[in-house]
Amino acid sequence: MSREAYAYFSPHLAIGNPKDYINLKGTSMIQKIKRFDKRQCLVSILPILGLPILGLIIVASGCDNQHYDERLQMRVQKLDSDLMNRWSTSGVVVTEVTPNGPADRAQLESGELISYVIAEYPIKTVSDFNDAMKNGLEEDNNFVLYLKDKLPLRVALRRRGDNVGLSVEGSGTVRVKEVQPGTPAANSDIQVGDIVEKIVDERKIYSLDDYKKVLAKLSKQQVTFRTTELIGVKIAAVSALGNLGDVRAIEPLIDIFKNSTELSLRKASISSLQRLVELSVLNDLFQQFQRANVNQLPADSIEPQHLEAAAILELLTVDRTENTATLEAPFGTQFRHRSEALYEKINEGQLAELVQAYIQITVEPEQEIRRACLAILGILKPVSAIDALVTVLDNSAEIPGIRFQAGLTLSQIGEPAVDALIAAFENGDTSTKDIAASALGGIGGTKARDRLIQALENTSEPAIQLTLVDAIAKIGDAPSLQALERQRAQYQADEDSGIRIFLDEVFKNLEQKSM
Amino acid sequence: MKKIWLALTLVLFIFGCGTQNENLAKGKELIKSDKRRKEERAVREFKLAIQQQIDNAEAHYLLGLYNSQEFYEPNTTDWEEASVTERGKHMFLAYQAEKRKYLERLVFETLRDDDLDIQNAALDALKRVYNQGDRKQLLNQLQKAIKSSDNRDRHNAHWVLGHLGQDDPNTIVPLLVKLLEHGRTETRLNVVKALGETGSEEAIPALAALIESGAARSERDREEPEVRQLAVEALGKIGGTAVPELVKIVENKGSSLRVDAIRTLAVLGDAKVVEPLLDALKEQSNRDVVVPLN
Repeated sequence: MSREAYAYFSPHLAIGNPKDYINLKGTSMIQKIKRFDKRQCLVSILPILGLPILGLIIVASGCDNQHYDERLQMRVQKLDSDLMNRWSTSGVVVTEVTPNGPADRAQLESGELISYVIAEYPIKTVSDFNDAMKNGLEEDNNFVLYLKDKLPLRVALRRRGDNVGLSVEGSGTVRVKEVQPGTPAANSDIQVGDIVEKIVDERKIYSLDDYKKVLAKLSKQQVTFRTTELIGVKIAAVSALGNLGDVRAIEPLIDIFKNSTELSLRKASISSLQRLVELSVLNDLFQQFQRANVNQLPADSIEPQHLEAAAILELLTVDRTENTATLEAPFGTQFRHRSEALYEKINEGQLAELVQAYIQITVEPEQEIRRACLAILGILKPVSAIDALVTVLDNSAEIPGIRFQAGLTLSQIGEPAVDALIAAFENGDTSTKDIAASALGGIGGTKARDRLIQALENTSEPAIQLTLVDAIAKIGDAPSLQALERQRAQYQADEDSGIRIFLDEVFKNLEQKSM
Repeated sequence: MKKIWLALTLVLFIFGCGTQNENLAKGKELIKSDKRRKEERAVREFKLAIQQQIDNAEAHYLLGLYNSQEFYEPNTTDWEEASVTERGKHMFLAYQAEKRKYLERLVFETLRDDDLDIQNAALDALKRVYNQGDRKQLLNQLQKAIKSSDNRDRHNAHWVLGHLGQDDPNTIVPLLVKLLEHGRTETRLNVVKALGETGSEEAIPALAALIESGAARSERDREEPEVRQLAVEALGKIGGTAVPELVKIVENKGSSLRVDAIRTLAVLGDAKVVEPLLDALKEQSNRDVVVPLN
């Protein structure tokens, strides 16, 4: 078998980037295999060495699940045994940092989960290189090589003692002397004469024992920890905060939404904000309960649309026969005490302003987030968002569904959006006209209606005609119907005309409705 | 003379038994048949059988089993007598007439029925046994069921014990806590569920200990992950008084159950949770921290 089967070099980009962990997948398998070997070895030695060793092992493995690191002056704790299986997380967690100790001065915080210990070896001499390589390969057959002006390379060997295929020379500046043919080094981007800057050894921590062992070996000037995020915990916390309806959550959620680099976390936070906005709309309803200081009111004393909205959010149950509306315990009964504060905070205007910045595809590439922002605007209905919404509606680079949602949001804002929609209708392309007309139909009112009728009478473009007919039918008042009748009369003779067929359909529906 | 009396009594007895058994037998025959509305007709026979012999265990049991409000016009006497509680009462009367037989039947057979009403009637009967009958015997049978190798028995026993625990946590919770030591994981799963369903705060310390065992030093002392997850759910069922314990899990950064605890807390709606959740959001992570050693 050739050497390539045992060792490989792979480009190692952007050290420190969390996404980088994917690169480690390949090596963790090797580590597992090796760990297994070690245990097997232990099993085979045991019968020979007998009970004294067994006793020692029991004492050693029976150590506490906590460890105070005297040198760093911090306490670390073993993770729950099933954390690895459930969340693919390993390491130790910092539970206590002694004030003003080395860990504290480095701003390592309690709660951080140490997953890697990173040792960095600057290469100034040939023996620096050889030692670092030996160290790096000794434990887990894995390190990262930094060459000047080149991307970092991850070096991983399948078996201890395999040849990397590199030798170096020089002092002060260490250069590649030879790349042995047939080795992985020969197949990678390494050239004779490349300057070796450093070797970084990233060691994954599996247990408290691992931690102690690795730390004991590093007698360097410094130690670097890489900490991992249990993203699931934060996502769960963000979602829970959306459900709890507490005003204190708003600022932190906005902060995560604006600043987090984790997309999943940003998505969770905007959907939690959306939930909080939906809850805040029901403030009037909850205040009705709060003022009476009860959890049950006669159903007919509450506005029907409030009842419906709250029932959809599963916050209260309505019993028509008993005529009762009862807040759902535990949430509904507790939320009435908090709804006022939430309502006030959300209507301060800060949130509306924030989300309108994120509805543009140029600002926010993630469509799920743009949609959530539009939904929030549809509830808050800020007049200040009209221009931004028209830009989305008119953007041919945007997904049609989102352009339509922008139109819907404008129709939710209502009357104040009419002028902007008329302008969009007059100047936009066919899709824009389509969406704007439909939004105008949704808003209704004299001004929107007259403009739509006028447009219908002046256009001969079939697609636009259909949209306009649909929008005018939605308004459905007497002048609208008269205008549609006029159209029908105009196309009466034309058997195959799409607009005639559509108009027949519209009138049929209207008749059915009035029946 | 004596002989004549004896013969007469015997004849009357046989005659009496004959008519009672006749209705019961007819009803049982109907159940086995494929006749139309057989259950409705059988129920009529069982009622007659009871009229003849007030303490006929089998007739009571079968009436409890087969009667249904679907047979009658709502709000009639018959309809009211077919309620789950009334059916449970009949099952209990069967137990009273033949304790051993019907206790076992209720626990290991009736509870297995697919019909929810029948399950609830059996539960009602067992609650009556708990309060008016041989409690010790009942608890023995339920413990036997929850230790059983059959999943249905374990599930049913947990359900009944959970309900009994709602009314009498002082007896049931300690009994369940003791069962947490049982060797069968599936039994412990059901015990944990039952503890949650008692809704009793007495159950909190045991559940908390179980959850914390995940970081125990020896593997032997660590409870299975799935049991520990269910323990978090059980705390959620207990609700309000368990909130501090759930918050403790959220604050334990090394716990594998933080997400479960947070999800449980989200539903409970308690404002005390907001601060710990905000703290969790502030946790630093995904970074390289350089610690100088001198």
